[in-house]
Amino acid sequence: MIDALVSIFTTPLGVSAFAGVAWGIMGGALPGISPSITMALLLPFTYGMDPMLAIVLLASTYVGAEFGGSIPAILIRTPGTNAAAATVIDGYAMKMQGKAGEALGISLYSGFVGGMFGLIVLVLLTRPLARLALAFTPPSYFAVGVLGLSVIASVSGDSLVKGLMAGVLGLMISTVGTDPVTGLSRFTFGSPELLSGIPPILVMVGLFAIGELLVQSGEPGWEKTDSTSTRIRFPSPAMWRRLAKPQAIGSVMGTIEGIIPGGGGTISAFLAYNEARRWSSRKEEFGKGSPEGIAAPEAANNTVACTALVPILSLGIPSSNSSAVLLSGFLMHGLVPGPLLLAKNPEFVNGLFAGLFAANVAMVVLGYLIMTPCLWLVNRPKPYLMAFIYAFVVSGVYSIETSIFHVGLVLMFGVLGYAMRYFKLPFLPMVLGVILGFMVESNYRRSLSLSDGDHMTFVQDPIARVLLALAALVVAGSLVRHLRERRTHQSSSAAPA
Amino acid sequence: MPRDLALGLSTLALSIGYYAMTLGIPDSQLADAIGPQGLPRAYAFVLAALSAILIGRSLRSNVRLHSDPAIWRVVGMLGIGVVYVFAVEWLGYFLSIAGLIVATTYYQGGVVSRHVLIVALVGAVICWLLFVRVMGVPQPPGWWPALL
Repeated sequence: MIDALVSIFTTPLGVSAFAGVAWGIMGGALPGISPSITMALLLPFTYGMDPMLAIVLLASTYVGAEFGGSIPAILIRTPGTNAAAATVIDGYAMKMQGKAGEALGISLYSGFVGGMFGLIVLVLLTRPLARLALAFTPPSYFAVGVLGLSVIASVSGDSLVKGLMAGVLGLMISTVGTDPVTGLSRFTFGSPELLSGIPPILVMVGLFAIGELLVQSGEPGWEKTDSTSTRIRFPSPAMWRRLAKPQAIGSVMGTIEGIIPGGGGTISAFLAYNEARRWSSRKEEFGKGSPEGIAAPEAANNTVACTALVPILSLGIPSSNSSAVLLSGFLMHGLVPGPLLLAKNPEFVNGLFAGLFAANVAMVVLGYLIMTPCLWLVNRPKPYLMAFIYAFVVSGVYSIETSIFHVGLVLMFGVLGYAMRYFKLPFLPMVLGVILGFMVESNYRRSLSLSDGDHMTFVQDPIARVLLALAALVVAGSLVRHLRERRTHQSSSAAPA
Repeated sequence: MPRDLALGLSTLALSIGYYAMTLGIPDSQLADAIGPQGLPRAYAFVLAALSAILIGRSLRSNVRLHSDPAIWRVVGMLGIGVVYVFAVEWLGYFLSIAGLIVATTYYQGGVVSRHVLIVALVGAVICWLLFVRVMGVPQPPGWWPALL
């Protein structure tokens, strides 16, 4: 671990972390561009890079984007990311009181505290979980896949049916290509480019980046910020003491929501805001420019940027859109996250931890230094920004396998992403289906081949038994929550106005 | 038509089409008990069942399919990408990417002015330097460099 920390200075690891954070802050500061989109835009560029530098770059982008989202939230009352929506409430109120610099400073400092806390949790939890996963057999891997897919029930949003539909569509996409057991080609339409399947990166870039570009093409331009009077001011020691409690609350919320599949930065930020208000001795200041109202959600969403890596590194399961994009970065570089990665490539995992440490430090440095160029970028005319994003996406996708067919495929997934937004189909279930589909099918059939077709093999394997029981619990819990929400909705709509 | 009904009918048609395609997957002597068609057929059945549920629910829904006024902007934006895909092999990367920047800027409400053309040229140079020179990606050169 010490060697990994030293490598920040002796290898390009630190540069990668700084570059990722810079890109993340700029992407996060653009309204409508979420961390997952910012990462998806960067994904094709990492193809030719050293795997460790590429993953650190992507993970650092996530860290930077979580802070970047708070910049327009505070300055123009428009959250750059969903997770920054809770920051709008008190951040913009502080800006209206002439304390924009102080609000940005609190956001940056709290994000750093949350990020470092999340990193410690990540280091402590990943190895024990992965050690357990070393004993995995094909039935266990199948069960891990099912556990990952069970998350669909909790990330389906308003409609469980639509979430399940999106998940099945993702599973269908994962069946394109060569069959994992017989080697027969399926759904390839005679195209040699489809023989090796549809790489998850193309689905991600299409759904997130091109889909958002298409949506933005029909939206009006976003508000401009005042780039001349904004300078970050870090909190005073007295303010540090005042912010300690909401930051601790945010960090705990971020840890829980980051590890639990389907949680993520947005939920944790709002939970942290509510809990910080509940435990505050100055409740009346919340909503009117309370520094604590910025500290809690910002600590929470930056904690998530690190703790979301726990299920990826230990089990290979993504828990949110951003972590799914990160996972496809792993897959693109031939790295299969999970116990074997930790066992065979410990220096890689240590390097990633060190890179995340550097990213959190970089966030503080760059958050202060690049505020002016960041605001300059955000204030560029929207047509130019969109044109450059489009150009970078099509060029980047071509670069992956020098295939113009892939560019066409990405445009097709962009249309799918636009249609999914229109029909309110959630993305994450589809992403889970695409990523986990092959793992589920190949291990399911391999397990049955080894047990002569006996399905009891999934119950006889102790790890598979526990994981499948957990999956059943996740599904049951989500169903109960859906039923409760439906009942509440029905009773509130039936109540007289 | 209710929006969810349109979605349900589309996914139902998709599940039927997908199922029909599984019938074209040949049998293999290497196949296991499930076979290469097994899970895809199961997915088709599940999607059909979910579509039927959505169709049933949608009949009671008030949310109607509406024509999005922005849809033509979206189609146009997509069209620029499609034209790029077909043009890049012929025109080459540099000219195509410059054209894409000009077209997108114009389409998004800009005007074709000298400023836009300069920005597009600068953008194309940046992209060419980044992808071709720095990353070493052999982007399509097009037919015209051979004439130079």
